[in-house]
Amino acid sequence: MRILLENFTKKFGDLTVIDNMNLEVRDGEMLALLGGSGCGKSTTLFAICGIHRIDGGRILFGDRDVTHTTSQERNVGVVFQSFALYPHMTVEQNIGFPLRLRKEPKEQIARKVGEMAEMVHIEELLQRRPGELSGGQQQRVALARALIRRPSVLLLDEPLANLDAALRLEMRSEIRRIQQETGITAILVTHDQVEAMSMADRIAIMDAGKILQIAEPREMYENPVSDYVARFLGSPPISFLEGRIEDSAFVEPSTGTRIPVDPEIAASHAGRAVRLGIRPEHFQPDGEVPIPGRISFIEIQGRETLFDVELPDGTVIRSIQSANEEARVGQEVCWGINAKKIMIFDENGLKI
Amino acid sequence: MGNSKHLGLILLAPAGVFVILFFLAPVVLTAIFGFTNMSTATGISGGAYVVNESTMRALGERFGERELAGRLLRKSYVIDEAGLQAARESGAEQATIEELREKYLGRNFESRRQIERLLKKLDNRPASIRAIKKIAASFERSVVNIRFDSPEELVAAIEGYGIVLSDAQRQALADVSYTGWVFTTQNFKTMMELPDTWRTMANTLFYVFSTLILFNTGFALVLAILTHYMPEGPAGFFRSVWLLPRITPPVLYVLMWKWLAWDNGFLSRMLEPLGIAPRNWLLDTPANAWTFVILINGFVGASMGMLIFSSAIKAIPQPLFHASEVDGASRWQQIRHIILPQLRWPILFITSYQTLSLLTSFEYILLATDGGPGGATEVWALAAYKKALSNYGGALQYGYGAAMSLVLVVIGVVLSLIYLRLFNFKALTESPKIEQ
Repeated sequence: MRILLENFTKKFGDLTVIDNMNLEVRDGEMLALLGGSGCGKSTTLFAICGIHRIDGGRILFGDRDVTHTTSQERNVGVVFQSFALYPHMTVEQNIGFPLRLRKEPKEQIARKVGEMAEMVHIEELLQRRPGELSGGQQQRVALARALIRRPSVLLLDEPLANLDAALRLEMRSEIRRIQQETGITAILVTHDQVEAMSMADRIAIMDAGKILQIAEPREMYENPVSDYVARFLGSPPISFLEGRIEDSAFVEPSTGTRIPVDPEIAASHAGRAVRLGIRPEHFQPDGEVPIPGRISFIEIQGRETLFDVELPDGTVIRSIQSANEEARVGQEVCWGINAKKIMIFDENGLKI
Repeated sequence: MGNSKHLGLILLAPAGVFVILFFLAPVVLTAIFGFTNMSTATGISGGAYVVNESTMRALGERFGERELAGRLLRKSYVIDEAGLQAARESGAEQATIEELREKYLGRNFESRRQIERLLKKLDNRPASIRAIKKIAASFERSVVNIRFDSPEELVAAIEGYGIVLSDAQRQALADVSYTGWVFTTQNFKTMMELPDTWRTMANTLFYVFSTLILFNTGFALVLAILTHYMPEGPAGFFRSVWLLPRITPPVLYVLMWKWLAWDNGFLSRMLEPLGIAPRNWLLDTPANAWTFVILINGFVGASMGMLIFSSAIKAIPQPLFHASEVDGASRWQQIRHIILPQLRWPILFITSYQTLSLLTSFEYILLATDGGPGGATEVWALAAYKKALSNYGGALQYGYGAAMSLVLVVIGVVLSLIYLRLFNFKALTESPKIEQ
């Protein structure tokens, strides 16, 4: 079901947390709300499921205006960060709880719980209590409980934050599989860009109660609207160089390196200070525009190695390379920037 | 390092002394006193062996020795050296004394008239009737109202007057003449026989469980849940209000209830215009008395449960409430399926704790109705207190009161053990069942 937020405003006392937000979640897609803590992503989620009343605007589920309905009436499934399983109920009772509240017949509940358990692969755990489950199992139970009512929308609030690294990887694909199997519209709230990129169809990146950009993960990675978005996506993160546009090229002041830029940009921003964004994979020993520097830090990540290259003025450019065993810390290098992949941001941080 | 163990014990020693003095010793003493017939009459220290009206009545009633009892109460007369000495000092002639010693030493007389007749017949007869009476008085012997330290001394004294006692009589005399307390199970037999006992027990059960269910647990739960769904400010105010009875001095608190209920009090005055005659609402009928007793105790008792339950509800993770809301639970379903199951342990704790505390508390009843009207609100602890320590006539039955208390102690211990087992107190003291 399509979810629409129109001019959504939320205040806590005098503090406006979200001001006039507009957001459309398309039917059947998984949209990630990505942002740092305090950006308003969880507030948005709680507003959609009805736990928070909103102070302005409308919320539409399909064509139904649910702005003033309670969370009980909205038919949403939520997976909370802490999973919020009922500790005094068995797994079976937990999953069946929403149906039990609606007084569905026992056999029907048992049948639906069975189906759900099968889908999330926890058939053998039905008689256990949450306290006897691992984090990943609790996560599956929480998912099953959220989905059993066939909700209009599935809301996931930092669903992987409480899991250890290995489980996180597993549950990432599990949640995605289950969402695709059920074809349910889902909203994923996360602060982790890897999670957002790997799980979501589209990402809405938020900062200070505003959506900065909504795009598919690849599009957002390659074409961020601002340096903020560029910095948020990608691990290891993007590096920035400060400089000016002079004679159709970006000039790095400490080394005097000239990096050719798009003629249109060169024309429109001639002589102006800009910021250049370079992703680590686009700064390589065989890159086309060499820039001299000194290796200041090496981080071995196994298959890949991350290098920090320091320019004379202290600016650092990161490079990630799959095999480079010769480089040492302190070594002077002259690696090249892939000029076709650079991003240019103006003084306000907006991509040109 | 080994010293630290002893250090702990040493530091705990003063507390241990107090525990023994104030907690353990009273229980032990109660148990001991419960098996005695201690009262104001016997005193609490040892007694003596005395022949008097009441002990002799007991001798007649319990052993059928009415004749012996009558004899022991009467004065008797013995001619012995001590008597002769006394006679000499009272002014008898030497010749009279000599004659008495030679002819009659060791003779017994059961009445004054007999010995006077003898004195008159003597060769060396005293000069006047007055002298005869005086000499006769010298030989007078009586055990009445003399305190003997042991039964042997009493028997020796009696036999010294020529009264010969059989072994059975000696035993009976030793039994009845003892005025101090003795060990006995009579208290418990009496308790079983008295109809008042059963009424008091029924009162106690009614009082404990009505107050417990209606207020200490029930109303406390209602308050805790209501305030949970209130905004924080009013909720805090509401809880504080319900704490007031707890922190009001009991005497003043009950006095205010009395002002409310007296025949010229608030209730009567308010109802007067409606044509209802003024009366003492607190004491006019047993039903009213019970209503007030339960309200007075309940308003005080509800606060503890309220605090415990409130904090237990606060300890339920907020996401559980959110989750149940999005799962479609109404307020009532949330209470029924989320709050109450999570409060299981606090509810059991309050129930057991308050049962024990209500069983033994009688101060508010004492102050309000004093067990009235006509014993309608007399509970076990109050009855025990009255028997042992507060009685109109001043005839305090320490032993019986202690026996009643002992019953309460036993009930308390048994209930505690049941609660410990049933409710698994170990689990109560474990880390919370609620997980974040």
